[in-house]
Amino acid sequence: MLERLKRPWPDHRAERALGAVSLLLGVVIVAMIAFVAVRSWPIFQHNGLRWLGGGGDFEAEIARMNAATAHPTAADYQLRAWPLLYGTLLSTAIAVALGIAIAVLASVFIVELAPRRLSRVVIPVVRLLASVPSVIYGLIGILVLVPFVGNHLVSEGDRRSVLGVVQLTGAGLAPTVAILTVMITPIMIALVCEALEAVPPSWKEGAVALGLNPLRAVRAVTLKAIRPAIVAAAVLATARALGEAVMIQMVSGGKTFAPNLDHGVPVFLFEPLRTLASAILDFREGIGSPSLKAAVYSFSLLLLLSAFVLSVGGYLVKLPLRRHQARA
Amino acid sequence: MHRIRRLSAALTVAGVVAVAAPAAAGATSLVTISGATSSYPLVSLLAAKYVKLHPHKIRFKIAQGGTTVGINDVKAGSVTIADVAQEPTSADAGLDFYPIAKYAICVVTNKANALANLTSAQVSAIFTGKDSSWSQIPGASASGPIEVFTRTSVAGVLTSFKSLLLEGKSVVKSATEEATEGLMRQALESAPGGIGFLSNYQADKGGLNSVSYNGVACNKTTAASGQYAGVSVFFEVTKGPASGGAAAFIHWIDSSGAARKIIASQWVPIG
Amino acid sequence: MSAVAVRSGRTGGRRSSPMSWRWSDRLALAAAWLAGLSLCLIAAAIVLYMGYRGIQYLRPGMIFERPQASADQAGSGGFLDPLLGTIVVSAVGIAIALPLAVASAVWITEYGHGGRLSRALARVVESSIEIVAGTPDIVIAIFGLAVFQLPLLAPLSFQAEGGGVFGRSFIAAGAMMSLLALPPLYAATRDGLQAVPAHMREAAFALGKTRITTVRRVLMPSVRSNIATGTTLGISRIVGSTAIVLILLGSTLRIETQGAVPVVNLLRGTGSSLTTYVYENSPAGEGAAPEKAYAAAFVLLVLVLALNVVIERLGRGRRDVISSVI
Repeated sequence: MLERLKRPWPDHRAERALGAVSLLLGVVIVAMIAFVAVRSWPIFQHNGLRWLGGGGDFEAEIARMNAATAHPTAADYQLRAWPLLYGTLLSTAIAVALGIAIAVLASVFIVELAPRRLSRVVIPVVRLLASVPSVIYGLIGILVLVPFVGNHLVSEGDRRSVLGVVQLTGAGLAPTVAILTVMITPIMIALVCEALEAVPPSWKEGAVALGLNPLRAVRAVTLKAIRPAIVAAAVLATARALGEAVMIQMVSGGKTFAPNLDHGVPVFLFEPLRTLASAILDFREGIGSPSLKAAVYSFSLLLLLSAFVLSVGGYLVKLPLRRHQARA
Repeated sequence: MHRIRRLSAALTVAGVVAVAAPAAAGATSLVTISGATSSYPLVSLLAAKYVKLHPHKIRFKIAQGGTTVGINDVKAGSVTIADVAQEPTSADAGLDFYPIAKYAICVVTNKANALANLTSAQVSAIFTGKDSSWSQIPGASASGPIEVFTRTSVAGVLTSFKSLLLEGKSVVKSATEEATEGLMRQALESAPGGIGFLSNYQADKGGLNSVSYNGVACNKTTAASGQYAGVSVFFEVTKGPASGGAAAFIHWIDSSGAARKIIASQWVPIG
Repeated sequence: MSAVAVRSGRTGGRRSSPMSWRWSDRLALAAAWLAGLSLCLIAAAIVLYMGYRGIQYLRPGMIFERPQASADQAGSGGFLDPLLGTIVVSAVGIAIALPLAVASAVWITEYGHGGRLSRALARVVESSIEIVAGTPDIVIAIFGLAVFQLPLLAPLSFQAEGGGVFGRSFIAAGAMMSLLALPPLYAATRDGLQAVPAHMREAAFALGKTRITTVRRVLMPSVRSNIATGTTLGISRIVGSTAIVLILLGSTLRIETQGAVPVVNLLRGTGSSLTTYVYENSPAGEGAAPEKAYAAAFVLLVLVLALNVVIERLGRGRRDVISSVI
């Protein structure tokens, strides 16, 4: 019988077998969305879409969910998770904005400006930064960066200005954004460098021939030509930033608080926050309680949908830009 | 060639079954535990000793998560025993509470803050946010705003702290919540103006300043003698009466000299 | 070719000295240099700091000692079990991902250009892999928990005495890790297959070989190095993931097998990995032993760097190596 299996299969059987295996992946995606959505349904059922808004006391709601029995009442499902969304959007937006700027500058440096020997050193450096596990970033953050911010950057005056509202321990927006930027920039650099190298040199040479200095030529011509790649890089980096749970949970202060710009700039940066991903990690042990389980799954659903939207959105944004893209 | 293949396949299967059968016959029982982070060190030590004394008969899987998480888990049937660090309430009907040790809840500050004593009124004022600056507290060498650290809502130590030392009031909303005792310790060690509460086991580890409450120092001696006010109990909780391996374990903790030795090393034995 | 040509603006001809540029261009030049150099500085700082702390706290014996669950974590034991846990999870993850990825890549490049149906299905599969690639690992972990806590899958972990399925085991974590390793493996294999020139396939067809035999005998051997690169990329993604192990591996300090059948009981068992060991010993976990965390983190970093070197060696001479970080 083993003989029959070892004989080469006819093409159509092989095609169907391989096709079935490949479609398994599609099934996994559908299953993922289905499982997560079904388990998060109770939150939507009892809150409607209002659970994405503010106005409630998140920590009290979580406490109530934890204390709820195996048959929760409607009030046990009450949730207003706006501070989580705000924390997620805020940290991601700042990190991606900073990251794009640094990535474009660094890519121009690597491809255009640096002497070749220096480039050969910087490329492995970028790869190294991209492959450091997030728990190591988190470890350095919580053992070095957070005490530094807490003991040397946060002043007594800062602490006094938010007395009674929130406590500034050093863990918060600043270390989170700093480390997040360092984590997502290498990915963007990789993509932008690849795109820069694909631009036909004649385009830049034409600009230089017209009298522009090399850097200006890059700004005027090359950067415009790689706009789809910059968008792709930003989308990829945003997806990575949204999903980062472990590092953020270690350095963000673990308090569901929406950093408030009204408190002034240095204080705003020192305030603690929580993101969707770090909340899932924080509450992972409490999913024995059915209402908290639904809440955790609803956070996951949001993350899943946003990853999905990013893939589609990134593709759509790139379409009109493709017209001007460099075709290698 | 093919006969050899078929033979080796048959032999492998037979070998696996042969190993599996006798092993399955003497299967060890598995006891799963989750709950309080404050009693985790004690329960781990007890479980390790028990397994050493009764090898191949029982295995433990100990998780944490906080007292309330443990209670929810044992109610749902996901674990056999819950570690609980607070007294039973009316919501815990149907659960059996077995006390295993007593512990003291100490008010703790950063090592640099040489605060020796606090009265109950002062503790209330500080933790409810009424007194917000160290200058309002005589005897404190720290300056600036008071940083209050508390535990997350699932913690049994928090519930016990509130009822025993805080006259039932709630901790100020702006306090920073820590998920485990280890995190509370870390936070206090790095915040010069910080104040919080820990079980005596963590407080005694050094590196922090333990504050006397109404003139009574917080350690296992004063807890044992009944002098110290903030003494609560670690319970092992099961759904209905304990049975099987769990019952044997709990009975061993209650009656064995080895268990008592472990408990007395850092905590207070019951009775 | 393009690498040389792009630099022609710098090496050939008279170049304008930055002194003659407008100040905004000089600022941009300075900023670009600053960006590049500060990246190097940050990377050096991370490596040097972790190295310093690692040498300070790592005793070579730690790699071979089993962890002790004593009350005072700082003094006792090593991290052999977490290290083994990382290896087992990676092995399971790759074992599941490899056939899936290679099969999908083969199907899409070789069979996905047939009729409208197969083209549409190929698009579906490609999009699925892209979505998996973009899904955060914490969501994959939560999904894994939902799946493996189903009563149907109780044999894959264990069932507690009250009826609740534990849902956390090496097979659970490994299965979800395979989703992490799948996209890079698939991309590497697909790129390799697409790079094989058409005339090799045509020669095989001319000799009367079927498509599947061509794949087995002609194409697979030539994409071996791509598959190796993809596998190493997948392993490095698995090794670096913490969230999936935290949620799906049961968080026991030592590897604890479940049941009696030899290999199966390991798959059903629980344990920890290097990443969760670092996490649990850091102030975010129990906080009791940052020394252990540093030691384990150092070993983890060395492991990841070694994998990086392997990837570079395998991918030597190929243009797409820098983008393989994704």
